[in-house]
Amino acid sequence: MFTATLRGMLAHKVRLALTVASIALGVAFLAGTLVLTDTMRLAFDQLFGKVSAGTDAVVRAEAAYSQSEGISTSRAPIPASVLNQVRQVDGVRTAEGAVSGYALLTDNGGKAVLTSGGAPTLGYSLPADPSLRGDVKLLSGNAPSGAHQVAIDATSAEEHHIALGSTIKVLFRGPTQEFTVVGTVGFGGEKNLGGTTGAYFDSATAQQVLGAPGFFDAINVSADAGVAPAELVQRIDAVLPDGTEAVTGATVVKESTDAVNEDLRFVGILFMIFAGIALFVGSFIIWNTFTMTITQRSREIALLRAIGATRRQVNRSLIVEALLLGVLASSVGIGLGLLVAKGLKVLMDVVGFSLPSTSMQVQPRTIIVSLLVGTLVTVVAALVPAYRATKVLPVEALREAVPGSGNPSRKRIISGAVVTVAGLTGLFTTLYADATMKLFGPSLLAIIVGVLMLLPAAARPLASLIGVPLRLRGLPGELARQNAMRNPRRTSSTAAALMVGLTLVVSMGVFASSLKASFGDVIGDSVNADLFVTPSSTQAPGFSPEVINAVKAVPGVGAVAASGWGEARFNGADSSYAAVDPATAAEGLNLGLSAGSVSALGLNGVVVSQSAATSHGWKMGDVIKGEFAATGAHDLKVVGIYNTKGWIGDDFIISIAAQTAAAGQQLTASGLVKLAPGADQATVQQAITAAMADHPDAKVLDRKGYEKEASGFIDKLLTFVTVMLLLAVLIALLGIVNTLVLSVFERTRELGLLRAVGMTRAQVRAMVRWESVVISLIGALAGAALGIGLGLGLSQALADEGIKAISIPGLQVTLYVVLAAVAGVLAAIGPARSAAKVDVLKAVVAD
Amino acid sequence: MGASSQNAFAGTTPLDRGAETSYKGINHMSATTSTVAPTRASARAEGVSKFYGTGDATIAALKDVYVTLEAGQFTAIMGPSGSGKSTLLHMLAGLDRPSSGEVYLGDIQISSLNDKALTLLRRDQIGFIFQSFNLLPTMSAAENIVLPIRIAGRKPDQAWVTSIVDKLGLADRLTHRPTELSGGQQQRVAAARALASRPQIVFADEPTGALDSASGTELLGFLRKAVKELGQTVVMVTHDPTAASYADRVLFLADGHVVDEMNEPTADAVLDFMKHLGA
Repeated sequence: MFTATLRGMLAHKVRLALTVASIALGVAFLAGTLVLTDTMRLAFDQLFGKVSAGTDAVVRAEAAYSQSEGISTSRAPIPASVLNQVRQVDGVRTAEGAVSGYALLTDNGGKAVLTSGGAPTLGYSLPADPSLRGDVKLLSGNAPSGAHQVAIDATSAEEHHIALGSTIKVLFRGPTQEFTVVGTVGFGGEKNLGGTTGAYFDSATAQQVLGAPGFFDAINVSADAGVAPAELVQRIDAVLPDGTEAVTGATVVKESTDAVNEDLRFVGILFMIFAGIALFVGSFIIWNTFTMTITQRSREIALLRAIGATRRQVNRSLIVEALLLGVLASSVGIGLGLLVAKGLKVLMDVVGFSLPSTSMQVQPRTIIVSLLVGTLVTVVAALVPAYRATKVLPVEALREAVPGSGNPSRKRIISGAVVTVAGLTGLFTTLYADATMKLFGPSLLAIIVGVLMLLPAAARPLASLIGVPLRLRGLPGELARQNAMRNPRRTSSTAAALMVGLTLVVSMGVFASSLKASFGDVIGDSVNADLFVTPSSTQAPGFSPEVINAVKAVPGVGAVAASGWGEARFNGADSSYAAVDPATAAEGLNLGLSAGSVSALGLNGVVVSQSAATSHGWKMGDVIKGEFAATGAHDLKVVGIYNTKGWIGDDFIISIAAQTAAAGQQLTASGLVKLAPGADQATVQQAITAAMADHPDAKVLDRKGYEKEASGFIDKLLTFVTVMLLLAVLIALLGIVNTLVLSVFERTRELGLLRAVGMTRAQVRAMVRWESVVISLIGALAGAALGIGLGLGLSQALADEGIKAISIPGLQVTLYVVLAAVAGVLAAIGPARSAAKVDVLKAVVAD
Repeated sequence: MGASSQNAFAGTTPLDRGAETSYKGINHMSATTSTVAPTRASARAEGVSKFYGTGDATIAALKDVYVTLEAGQFTAIMGPSGSGKSTLLHMLAGLDRPSSGEVYLGDIQISSLNDKALTLLRRDQIGFIFQSFNLLPTMSAAENIVLPIRIAGRKPDQAWVTSIVDKLGLADRLTHRPTELSGGQQQRVAAARALASRPQIVFADEPTGALDSASGTELLGFLRKAVKELGQTVVMVTHDPTAASYADRVLFLADGHVVDEMNEPTADAVLDFMKHLGA
């Protein structure tokens, strides 16, 4: 029976190729995701390991709790005096203070050296002792020495033609300064550190420009030969003052790695979702293929049954076929996965999420998981059709096989309706009855599943409706319509794959469109500004606080409301907070305070959102415990309650001064500029631009420009998501090709008859083509309708976050539907050709 | 006799006038057709051979066959299995091409036509009745009957179609799907389709092969009537001497050659001859 199965598969090469492809693409996505995340993880491991190689122990301030923000952990600085104490410890070969911080290089023309995707631009102290430099190596020139020298990473030097000996400006949180470039730095074999830029100073200069004089971020220690790091850490710990700690170099590497892995996990999950969607869509095609081939092979199966094969044997042979198919498809998928990993990397670069890389990592786990998932999906999708095959009666071997109509059962329609209604109820409860958002995801899923179950019942009327214009195309059009209606189950499961893809693409489109439409309202409602000072790159974390001072000095500027943000623990829960300047916040921001005022913030005040106040029962004058990683707990008094979320979406607002005290000086995220009375906006904007010539890390935009930039970012994200989902659409199209191929094969005799009685090849091709268009339009229209509904639901669910406008991108949705129809035409090319080639004689001569 | 029956029938029914209008401007053969009644063209094979396979494995299904099938006649082609009778029918009907030699339908050399022209010829000039699977399962009997006319994008001549349907006793079956019809009814629908577009010639390939004898008799009777009363040219391949006895003339094939022919055949005479052929 096994060889029969194998031969059967090989006999239908096109079918085999198409079904393999439909699963392989999903598996490729899965494998590609695993390869990519493994690769990135290793790249970061190597990166951290390299940088701290040679450092046996690190002395640093104790943190209130470990908080990760990107790849750095914020801690309080330690006094430089600790360094001398550490140096005294027995077993310390050498120890040096380290400082790092924000430093943005500029090229010789004064333009900022920006990183792709907002990778950090950092400055460091370069240890005097090479053994503490880890893999940081001088590639050319000398180590910086003195207040006017800098060494920069080799990539920045090469790509921006910054020659040794030239003078460049470097931007800090504090004033911008000029340095002479004296050296270039590399990292092991790399010319940059994971896409970041680096500026290296001697220790004293670094303290001056990156941190504070008399303080270090940490002290790096190298042990004498024969002293184990753990031993060294114990000895150092014994002499350290309170609030500081010593840990091994390995611990620091592990902490950094863990922090990054947490971030990568999110990227991994994101891609896994898309892989899951692709596999889900692929499973429809497997289901369809097995259903169709079993119908076509019912005589063969009946014959096997007639000569004594048991039901179980028939069932098993089909499952074995699915198993072989799954293994084959998964193997192909794993191979393709390497390409997908590269493609995803490129895509992320294009969209602007640059990540460090190393050689592609194919772990055994990747292969095992991909094989298992791919095979499992295939076998599960084949279970029901295989079970149906066992119902073929031996006597059917003797009958002329007439493909069944495949009408959906009443049971299926009822349960589909129940699931859909349950999903809708859940959705509306979530949206309007203030129930928890926990129901939201399952509700959406239920609606999709319910509609999938109902689609077969809708397929016939839909095909009939969509096919109406086809009547104008004469008999081939009419036959195409009838063929599409003839087996609603097949038509619907083919269209369903496309529907799922389009539902997601369209709902994202509607959501993004509503988001963009709301954006203007959000800004209008929550901001009073005329001009916006923002980081020059949308993904940069912020700009130097110096910029705000420069802007304030420009004539015609009435007020500048600076704001930043950070993360802390409020009342025990991690949350982001906004930091504003109490003196100007009321002018630039429209917070809609229901009580208190922003100007009362001071160093120990907090303004909380109405929703947070309601859910925690906070009122004016209450004290909230705010814990900051760097400095620990602070008591914050509620001095205001605000209603208008929008520009600020956080539940907590503190003053910038309080942030600096609690978390150190941070970058400014934005500055809202209010013009002085009578000042001309364009003139002032020009003047600000001129005043910021020395600050290439920021730019000034008018409101329109700002909205455009923000929606540009939304568009980028939407493009990214759409490209990801296109894979599912592509698989769905393969499914249409597959169904048509099988249908054409099944209808050989009909096609022969039509050709014999005078249908031309062109007419036959048209017939197949129109059928394909009808199927794709069923999927596209159902998907568009469902997508619009879900997109609106999603927007509605986030109305509290400021998505108040509702916008359906009509042109975009129409375009998708038209493209689906065009894709239907393309999918039909091959099947139509083989239909037109049907041998008339083979069809009409009785066998 | 064929010629006389054609003349006797020509222009005698109002339906034939319908035939003229339906041909006008669409039928590229209409120029050669009489304005009074369409000429039922003859079919000819001139030196037709058909080989299958290549090299040593070449099999000759037909060897240098010359035949003329007279217009307005009912011709049966008989022969043992493998004699090439079906192959000959396929060549004459434009379903297959000869390896060498020429096939004519009236004045048109169909063996040199390209696929499109040949397809249009089949659609407009030729009617088919196959042994089985004559009908599209998704269409009703009525839709199947006018299928070639609809493919051509024309309106069927309703009066003509109704008269055929009545002759075949299908009036109360028109809305049924093929699966709801008996084998005999299905073949009668096929016969109605074959005649509905007023073809020059009707080819039937073992039309009674899958029928019980009563249904077979009914169908053959109708074909006979079509020739006698409507002047239709009919060519039928069969292995059944009784079926052959309905024809005006029987051609006998053996080993790819036409070995003999018989006019005004009877079932017994045909059977005797077949025994003689060693079938």
